[in-house]
Amino acid sequence: MARVVVMGGGVSGHTAATFLRDWLSADHEVVVVTPNSKWNWIPSNIWVGVGRMKKEDVVFDLDPVYKKANIDYRQAKALTIHPEGSKESDTPFITIEYTGQGKEGEKEELTYDYLINATGPKLNFAATEGLGPHGGHTVSVCTADHAVHANEELHKVIAKLKAGEKQTLVIGTGHGMCTCQGAAFEYIFNIDHELRAAGVRDKAEVIWLTNESFLGDFGMGGMHVKRGGYIASSKIFAESLFAEHDMEWILGTHVTKVEEGKIHYETLDGDTDFQEFDFAMLIPPFGGVGLKAYDKEGADITDKVFAPNGFMKVDADYSGKPYEEWKASDWPRTLQNPDYKNMFAVGIAFAPPHLMSKPMKNPNGTPINPTPPRTGMPSAMMGKAVAQSIRDMINGAKEPTHTASMSEMGAACVASAGAGFFSGKAVSMTVYPVVPDYEKYPGVGRDLSYTTGEIGLAGHWIKHFLHYAFMWKAQLKPGWKIIPE
Amino acid sequence: MAHQHVEHLDPYSPQSGTMIPGGLVKFMRTCVLWQIIRFLVINLRMTKLILKSHH
Repeated sequence: MARVVVMGGGVSGHTAATFLRDWLSADHEVVVVTPNSKWNWIPSNIWVGVGRMKKEDVVFDLDPVYKKANIDYRQAKALTIHPEGSKESDTPFITIEYTGQGKEGEKEELTYDYLINATGPKLNFAATEGLGPHGGHTVSVCTADHAVHANEELHKVIAKLKAGEKQTLVIGTGHGMCTCQGAAFEYIFNIDHELRAAGVRDKAEVIWLTNESFLGDFGMGGMHVKRGGYIASSKIFAESLFAEHDMEWILGTHVTKVEEGKIHYETLDGDTDFQEFDFAMLIPPFGGVGLKAYDKEGADITDKVFAPNGFMKVDADYSGKPYEEWKASDWPRTLQNPDYKNMFAVGIAFAPPHLMSKPMKNPNGTPINPTPPRTGMPSAMMGKAVAQSIRDMINGAKEPTHTASMSEMGAACVASAGAGFFSGKAVSMTVYPVVPDYEKYPGVGRDLSYTTGEIGLAGHWIKHFLHYAFMWKAQLKPGWKIIPE
Repeated sequence: MAHQHVEHLDPYSPQSGTMIPGGLVKFMRTCVLWQIIRFLVINLRMTKLILKSHH
C-alpha cells in the first residue's frame, strides 16, 4: 500500500489527486491537504470582479467531491516537510495545521510515500507597502472573495461617474517582479466594457501600469503571430488594443508604495514618479507559501529543497547562468526533486530556472521584469504528468515515466475583453512552446504554426464554455476525464 | 467615415503610434455568422495544440 499526499487543491493539485485516485487501486491512499474549503475556478474571478458572475458561480465545496471520490481530504495548511523522516522513523512525513473540519489549530504529522507540492503561491501583498485589500489601498481579483470586494469598489466608482465626477482607474502590477499580467489585462478590458455599458466611459481615465518592458510581454517575452502577410509581435496587437480603447499605459514600473489615492513607482530608466487614482487593481508578486524542510536529525534543509523565492527545486538547471546562455532545456521535465525522488512540485509551486522575459534592472539596481507565468493549462498538464509518473512508480517503475516541460508544451489562453453573449469579446491565444526556444525556432522562439492570436466574440463563447466545462470536470461529474486539461 | 475610429487619439502620443482597427475589423469581431466559423477554427486550433503538448 502506498500513500500519496498532495499539498494544495488548486488546478494542478486537484488534477493530480483526482487522476491518481481514479488510476490507483483502493488499497492505495490519496490525501489532499489544502487550507481551503472551496475550489475556485480562478480565470472566472475576472467576471466576479465586474459583477457579471457571483462568487457561488466560480467556487464549489471540496468536501463532498473528495468524499465521493474517496480522497482523504484534510482542510489544513502544510507547515514542514521531513523527507528523511525523523530520528525515530525513516518514513518521510509532513506536519499540517488544520484550518477547518472542526479541528482548527490542531497540528498533525502525516506520513507519505510520495509527495506532490502543489501549494500555489503566497500572494505577497506585503512586498509593497499599501498594496492589497487587507489594510492596503488597492483591490485584487486573485481570489473569489477579493473579486467580490473589487466589484463592490468598482460599482462605487461607477456611481460617482454617473453622478458626473471624473475618476481615474489604474490596473496592472503592484511590484517589479509580478507575474499574471494576463489577469490584470482581462480585468482592465472588462472594466472598460462595463464603463461603456454604463455610458460613463468618457468620464473615466483608464491606465495600465505594468512591470512589462513592452506591452504584450505577459511574462513570456511576448509572442509573434502571422497576420495579414506579416509576422508581428504581440507588442503591436496589445498597443493597438489599448489605443483603440483609449487607455494610457505606463511601462517598466516597480511600485514602491501605495498611499490613499496615490501609487508611487520607479521605472526602468531609474526615475521615480507617482500616479493618482480613485480605483486601483494591482496584482501582487507571488512567493512560495513558506514551507520549511528538515532532515532526519531535525536540521533545517529549507535551502536545499527550496529556491530563495520559496518555490521547490525540481529537475531544472538552477546554475544561474546569464540570459545569453539560457536554453529551453533548462526547464524541468519530470518535476521531480533532485534529492528526494518521491517528491514532486507542480504548477506555481515549482521553482523556475529563470525568467522567460529578458531580465532587466534600472540604474538603481531594482529588478523590473515579469516573472514566468505557470498557471492554467500548463499547471493542469504538470499535475496530470506527475500523477502518471507516480502511478507507474507505485507499480514498479524506477524513474518518472511522464514529462511536462513548459519548453515542450503549448498553452491555450482565452483572455476576456468584455462579457456578453452577443457583445462580448476575448483574445484567443495559442502559444507553442510556452518557454521560447530560440535554438529550435530562431528569431521568435516559437512555432508560428501553433502560435496564434485573434480577438472576437468567439473567444468570449469559448471562455464561457471553458468556465462550465472546467467547473464540471473539477466536480468529477460524468465524463470529467474526457475534458482535456 | 474611417476617421471616427481615431478621433480619440492625441497626435504624437504613444497611442497614435500604433495601428487602430477600422470599421470592418470591429464589425467582424462581433458578427455572429463569422464568429461561429471562428469558434470552430479556434477550437480546432486549440485541439491540435493540446494533442501536440501531451507527452
